[in-house]
Amino acid sequence: MISKDMFTVNPEGFSNPVVEFERVDFSHSNGTIALRDINFQIYPSELVAILGTNGAGKSTLVRHINGLLKPTHGKVRVFGEDTSSTTAATLSKRVGIVFQNPNNQLFAQTVSKEIEFALKNFGFGDDLVRERVRWALDSFSLSQYSERSPMELSGGEKKRLCIALVLAWNPDILILDEPTVGQDSEQKENLSLIIRQFLDQKKNVILVTHDVEFIWPLQPRTMLMSGGSIIVDGSSQEVLGNPRVSQSARITVPQLVDFSIRSGWQMPFPVSTEEANARIHGT
Amino acid sequence: MQWIASGFLFVRGNTPYHRLDPRVRLAVSLCIFTVSLLSQSILFLSALIVLTISIVAVAKIIKRFARSMIFTAAISLIAFVLNFYYSPGSPHQAVVFGVRLFAVISSTSLFFLTTTPDELEQVMKWFRLPPDFIMIFVVAVRFVPVLMLDALQIMDAQRARGLEFDKGSFVKRLRNTIPVLVPLIAVALNRSLDLAEAMDSRAYGAVRNPTSLYKLSFQKRDYVVSLILGVGFAIGIYVTFFVPLI
Repeated sequence: MISKDMFTVNPEGFSNPVVEFERVDFSHSNGTIALRDINFQIYPSELVAILGTNGAGKSTLVRHINGLLKPTHGKVRVFGEDTSSTTAATLSKRVGIVFQNPNNQLFAQTVSKEIEFALKNFGFGDDLVRERVRWALDSFSLSQYSERSPMELSGGEKKRLCIALVLAWNPDILILDEPTVGQDSEQKENLSLIIRQFLDQKKNVILVTHDVEFIWPLQPRTMLMSGGSIIVDGSSQEVLGNPRVSQSARITVPQLVDFSIRSGWQMPFPVSTEEANARIHGT
Repeated sequence: MQWIASGFLFVRGNTPYHRLDPRVRLAVSLCIFTVSLLSQSILFLSALIVLTISIVAVAKIIKRFARSMIFTAAISLIAFVLNFYYSPGSPHQAVVFGVRLFAVISSTSLFFLTTTPDELEQVMKWFRLPPDFIMIFVVAVRFVPVLMLDALQIMDAQRARGLEFDKGSFVKRLRNTIPVLVPLIAVALNRSLDLAEAMDSRAYGAVRNPTSLYKLSFQKRDYVVSLILGVGFAIGIYVTFFVPLI
């Protein structure tokens, strides 16, 4: 399990946005327009979920936040810094991104060395590296694999390792691209807990996902993307709680929302089965 | 990097050149290739490059051709410099070597940029090559752009972990390629295993010589181009051996 003291408090102020997209367009080198007129701000300790169909531009959008992609037009600012004037390696120290495909990241001889890699790139001292590696292994139930090759792990374990190795350097913004793919219910709960603890430290989490059942209890600010544009940006209740809005981006509503609507309940809809039970029994 | 990689992606075209039988397109490239290898004239080799670029223009693949030729131009330049300084021949010979290399590779690129893997398969079948060999070759050709895109994604993932590819000494930069090469090889091996299983489950190998749904057939335009090509090739050979050019 995760202990709260493993995270340090974010020293940033609370009033300024941590991420700011200003009239951002992005076209690939073959001319395909991937993002169109993207405008939004993310403030400290906000949890944001980005949903949309395949090819909607979700992954392209989050790659702008750690500078892997630079906008064709417009500006992306992270902690006030224009991403066009800095490198991905520099930004990555504060913006950790866990990619969808774990096989694209793992290369080291052992699981421990895989976690060490980024910490050494960022210039962490030896003692801190050891401490963070131990924390990451323990937190994600990977200790028994520490001396094994990452290639020998199962798909779900590889995914967990990828999340662990990013959290090891304790970034200020955590971006998770399809984090629940291949994870069992216990690991999903563990991930949910990590996200909550991250937010408690006034940090930010951005989730790119199709898993509405996973995000509904977390009640993030929800953005729906379609054709490279953000078509809706609002609370989970406003976006996922409204089947007409969800279906416009071909998103299935969470089961609790579906149940609530069928039961004739009014918003706000329950975010857990316990809340739903309480409403059924009038307690 | 992505700009260069996209040069290797096949895009189906619909130009007069694309509509030619793939065997004719192969013959065009082979003729330019052969004459380029034999010629000792800078002027004639340059004319062959101009001819290749003209065909590229007709096929409307100038941008993609330019992308894939960036490395060729660099290799040709290196070949010229090495020959200029270290070969016992004259400077003229060094220039011929560099220009010839460019002409030979560009003629090959012309064929691969205008031919789909399916057409390539049909041409190889026409040559009666073993089916397994054809399958291996076609799959390898299909995987080139896929691996290029994999490499770009892996580089992105490692840059997001603080790896800087363009900083440090030559040795450090060389060492920085390990975090890209290892996952790239692992991904390629996994993909080949997945493909092998998928092919097995779709009965690959159940018939020794499978038939094709589409068969190659010459049209009138193919005969016309073949005739022009034959005459052009004969003139090229004659000029190479009997006309003294610079």
